[in-house]
Amino acid sequence: MDPVVSPGPALLAGIGDGPGLEAHRGRFGKSPWPSAEQLIKMCEAVDLRGRGGAGFPAAIKMATAHRRKAVVVVNASEGEPASRKDAALMALAPHVVLDGAAAVAHALKTREVHIVVPSELASIGFGLEKALDERVDAGERIKWQIHDAAPRFVAGEGSAVLELLAGRDNLPVTTWQPGAVSGYKKRPTFLSNAETFAHLGHLARLGPNGYAAQGTAAEAGTTLLTLRGDGWDPIVVEVAYGTPLSDVLTADEMDQPLLLGGYHGTWLKPEQLAAMAVSRIDIAAAGATLGAGVVLPLAHGRCPLVRTEALVDYLAGQSARRCGPCMNGLPNLAEALRDLVHRGGPVGPVEELCGLVTQRGACAHPDGTARLVTSMLSRFPEEVDLHSLGECRGGRDEVFA
Amino acid sequence: MSHTLRVDWPNCKAHGICAQMLPEVVSLDQWGFPIVHGPVTHEVLELAKSTVKACPTLALRLTQPPPRH
Repeated sequence: MDPVVSPGPALLAGIGDGPGLEAHRGRFGKSPWPSAEQLIKMCEAVDLRGRGGAGFPAAIKMATAHRRKAVVVVNASEGEPASRKDAALMALAPHVVLDGAAAVAHALKTREVHIVVPSELASIGFGLEKALDERVDAGERIKWQIHDAAPRFVAGEGSAVLELLAGRDNLPVTTWQPGAVSGYKKRPTFLSNAETFAHLGHLARLGPNGYAAQGTAAEAGTTLLTLRGDGWDPIVVEVAYGTPLSDVLTADEMDQPLLLGGYHGTWLKPEQLAAMAVSRIDIAAAGATLGAGVVLPLAHGRCPLVRTEALVDYLAGQSARRCGPCMNGLPNLAEALRDLVHRGGPVGPVEELCGLVTQRGACAHPDGTARLVTSMLSRFPEEVDLHSLGECRGGRDEVFA
Repeated sequence: MSHTLRVDWPNCKAHGICAQMLPEVVSLDQWGFPIVHGPVTHEVLELAKSTVKACPTLALRLTQPPPRH
């Protein structure tokens, strides 16, 4: 499903001009190439964080990868199945991302940039090839390489992406060192998601002061969100940090439970949303994270327990089935949750299985699934009690895969 | 400073030898996969090193703190 995207204040400012290089250069000018030291200082000044979900500081990653034989990897294969923001960025503003990748490559003194695209969205690969041809024709001397990621949740995880680049199965493996220390072919690897590179390019272009024209004193810049709900197409928006959540959601949606951060995210109650802003600080204070920016309001009359049960069933099926606790634990968790939600079963086994799968896998898939379930239990105890009596305020449900 | 026993989860095939050799640190879940329930203290360090070597799939490692997971 193609997302509905409207122009935004920074990264998405030029989408009305089309995805071509000429229009892009016309609007944004030539992209400057700061040194690694300069770019790291800029990242520190605006506290730029990765936008793939974990929110790792870009400055630390770059300083770590700033060694001989570094390599750059742009991860445009969003792991979060509900997310469409990286796809929107790649389709509508590819040069905004590629400028960032080129700036990082130059700073790290490499010409090698790998771009990983989702194989299920073929149009992105085609669009990207065209964009890269334009850059090569314009004389840019970077060796771009495109890779197709497998169409599954865990394929977008960092170690799975490095496996794909190495020619092995596109699945997570145990990492003993961060990729920035030893990644692709044991080289220092700056791997971030597409939106992160777009911000890096924007920062290199504008400098910290220009970049901080958007956002708040504590959190500079903008962030991309994917909004999804029942019966309407996904919406991708770019908002400045500090934007009230009530500017992003409708009044009806503000009155409903919200799943924030995607399928690995956290449930929030309506009363927690009222004063909340799109802000890492605000959201962390509520015990949640913005993750990769997926915002999933629940339609009126829908039950958050029924939704969670459907999601966990889907997530259990997305296990790569290579790590024992995930392979065994997630189907059991899905079954225990089905028992609780649909048959008035006990909470105990659900809690126990959440504890059992956490921090026991090569990737965070089991952890994220447990986080979703744990947040459901802690936010909606009254609903859990109702379900134990065989009652439910909601109806049927669906998963956006 | 104590060490941490880490499991290479995709390689672990639930042989369970670690729990037999090092019950001070490892127990098994209901499917036979290891639960690392504590740090490797100085007293069991040598035993832990033998356990790492004994794993049939070489799915264990001793790491110095701080572990990342």
